[in-house]
Amino acid sequence: MVSVCFYFHVHQPHRLGHYSIFDIGNHTDYFDEHKNRQIIDKVKEKCYLKTNNILYRLIKQHDGKFKVSFSITGSIIEQFERFAPEVIDSFKRLADTGCVEFLSETYNHSLAFLFSKDEFKEQVLMHRRKMQELFNQTPTVFRNTELIFNNELARYIQDMGFEAILAEGADYILNGRSPNHVYNAVNAEKIKVLLKNYKLSDDVAFRFSDKNWQEHPLSVEKYVQWINQINGGGELVNLFMDYETFGEHQWEDTGIFNFLELLPGELLKHPDNNFVTVSEAARKYPIRDTVDMHNFVSWADLERDISAWLGNPLQQAAARALYDMEKYVKATNNYQLIATWRKLTTSDHLYYMCTKWFSDGDVHKYFNPYDSPYDAYIMYMNVLNDFARRVKAELKELGLLQIVSGEGAALPEKIHENPSLIFSG
Amino acid sequence: MLGWEFPPFFAGGAGIVCSALSEALLAKGVSITFVMPSGPEEVYDGLDKKLSTSKSKFKILIANNKYRNVKLTVKKIDSILHAYATNESYDKAYKEVSLSSDKNKYRGTPLYGKNLKQEIYRFAEQVKLLAMEEEFDVIHAHDWVTFPAAIALKKETGKPMIIHVHITEFDKSGGLHADPEIYKVEKEGMDAADKIITVSNKVKDMIVDKYYADPSKIIVVHNAATPMNEEIEYRAEAIKTTDKIVLFAGRVTLQKGPDYYVEAAKKVLEKAPNTTFILAGPGDMLHKMMEKTAALGIGHKFIFTGFFNREQAEKLFSMADVFVMPSVSEPFGVVPYEAQIKKTPTIISKQSGISEVLYHTLKVDFWDVNQIASRILALLSYPSLHQELTHKGYYEAKNATWDIPAAKCLNIYDEVVAKGGQ
Repeated sequence: MVSVCFYFHVHQPHRLGHYSIFDIGNHTDYFDEHKNRQIIDKVKEKCYLKTNNILYRLIKQHDGKFKVSFSITGSIIEQFERFAPEVIDSFKRLADTGCVEFLSETYNHSLAFLFSKDEFKEQVLMHRRKMQELFNQTPTVFRNTELIFNNELARYIQDMGFEAILAEGADYILNGRSPNHVYNAVNAEKIKVLLKNYKLSDDVAFRFSDKNWQEHPLSVEKYVQWINQINGGGELVNLFMDYETFGEHQWEDTGIFNFLELLPGELLKHPDNNFVTVSEAARKYPIRDTVDMHNFVSWADLERDISAWLGNPLQQAAARALYDMEKYVKATNNYQLIATWRKLTTSDHLYYMCTKWFSDGDVHKYFNPYDSPYDAYIMYMNVLNDFARRVKAELKELGLLQIVSGEGAALPEKIHENPSLIFSG
Repeated sequence: MLGWEFPPFFAGGAGIVCSALSEALLAKGVSITFVMPSGPEEVYDGLDKKLSTSKSKFKILIANNKYRNVKLTVKKIDSILHAYATNESYDKAYKEVSLSSDKNKYRGTPLYGKNLKQEIYRFAEQVKLLAMEEEFDVIHAHDWVTFPAAIALKKETGKPMIIHVHITEFDKSGGLHADPEIYKVEKEGMDAADKIITVSNKVKDMIVDKYYADPSKIIVVHNAATPMNEEIEYRAEAIKTTDKIVLFAGRVTLQKGPDYYVEAAKKVLEKAPNTTFILAGPGDMLHKMMEKTAALGIGHKFIFTGFFNREQAEKLFSMADVFVMPSVSEPFGVVPYEAQIKKTPTIISKQSGISEVLYHTLKVDFWDVNQIASRILALLSYPSLHQELTHKGYYEAKNATWDIPAAKCLNIYDEVVAKGGQ
């Protein structure tokens, strides 16, 4: 028996605008609302509405035998709510079928687990509340931003009461073992680790339209045959991918929608096959072995590590500057300031500062709203500097500045690489 | 190879390019006879010395076998042709020579042409006569002053002709107009060439657009980095105790955008008063720039150096905290490589050819003074950014070796030789 577990990731960041050093102290329009709206408008038409409709039809057509799971970030939900409420409704309609499950994650698609466990927990809880509110579901399976994972996270998530967690089935983690089983992690014996079958996932997500790929064009029959071949060698195939694979990364003219529409029928032809959601997968299959991931693994780039977000000193400096501000921001108890700070925790901001793509191809460039990673860094730091001044002004007004920073301070004119220095400087 | 300048004497980057490219080609086993117009004898004393005392590469020898012996021969033809010659500048030089009382200083034979056009065609005839004694496979001519010579040589020998375009007449005027006579010489060269090498896509687009050159015979070969003396360091302590240093280094002409630099400086100084701006280089806009800084009330934060030599360039680049190249039009623009090798982060205009190949730099539109100023301020304010660009920029420039363009040239040689001249 082979169970197929489809999991789709749904996310768009709040992109920053071109915020110059000369803007510091002058205005607070950090986010490029025009561009963000344009992107939501584009992907909604090309991907979300269309694919949601197809999934709905497939669920009805196969009498509930076709199932999928989603992780939807708070970042994109906020933008749907503002710019495209009909997309929220189409997800609600999917939720109501009972065949669609929503995962847990950080509300802002952040790297909080790496920098602040408190913030991490708060964002996970915020996201849980949002899922309950929108879809009437309480997630029991967790996926961290970009499938970033290690033993410590597995333990932490287990202690938070989740039954399963998703991770990349990277070669160097599996050491020749199959991703098509359920694992647990070192020091996290109870939690079930579902590993992405990256070969079969990326055949669709990345290679589907690649004319240089020897399997191109990929027919549904061929693909299902590959899945059928797993029978005996595994019990669960985890196909994890970005939802925008459908219609955005792979355009409609590649035949991707046709592929999706035919896949469930073809797969269910084999009586031993079925579809499961993430929690069903976790409940259905026992833990077969243990993975040991001391260092962080992710689903990004060839390295499958966190170098796409924290690989260079600029990214590290920016992340440090952001999280060093946390206690000051939270001390304001100002909902708007905290929400803005959280938007800045979205990992995409750091991704735009990655310089790896200069040599490693153009995936990063495709997603980068800036001319260069250096520009991305400059804009981000400019925003943090302005933001820190606002937070400081707020704390001063509340008479809290001395308590928080431990010393009195005058408003400095200087621009800081670590704007939290503003609080003590 | 036909060129108009060869180090140590040069007026722009093309001489350095010729020398560095030649060296890299020599290393690949290509023999080169470098023919160029030579001016007053004394100017070349130093060159002669350098070439004759160098041990291997720069021996003055007649090359005769293709791809076999590593030899470079420099042939001089007495001429007062000059790198950035214009009709006016040629007239001036011609007068100077004619009126000179020191007959030894300017050897009188052969007679120089009466004007620029006559002179380049006279040079062409001379090249033809001289090259008839040589054995070679490919004519490789650098920039318009050598094109008539290349055409004459091609006609005489039937050898394939490659022209190497470092700059066009349009670039010198900021892209708007061209001297019709020079334009004609350039165009004839492009039409007659078997292959055209341009130093950037920008130049390629320019010659397709403005000269109607056949795009299929154009190959872009980006320049590489000039070797620098990394030993030379200058700390400029007197300035650095209080200030950070921002540097512009190049000819102070319309093409290089010095006025945008001055305007950006004004904006930077409003936020970061402890900044000193150096405007290094000679040029027809120098006085205007001095007046402009005074008018803006920032004259005291400016240092004007006028002409600087190589050693001074090394010092300038090593003492600067930020290098800015706001060129309006820059066919390639090798200077940012020099700054990066001297561990100074760079800000360059998107309108430069080098921006096609440089990544570890900050790119701006030359006309966007706010953008230039904000990038300068970012480099002065964010140490991690400064460090990262210094570090990555250094390796980027170090890895841009002349071996890469030389290999491309060699491929082109092989291709045209296989085809034969057309």
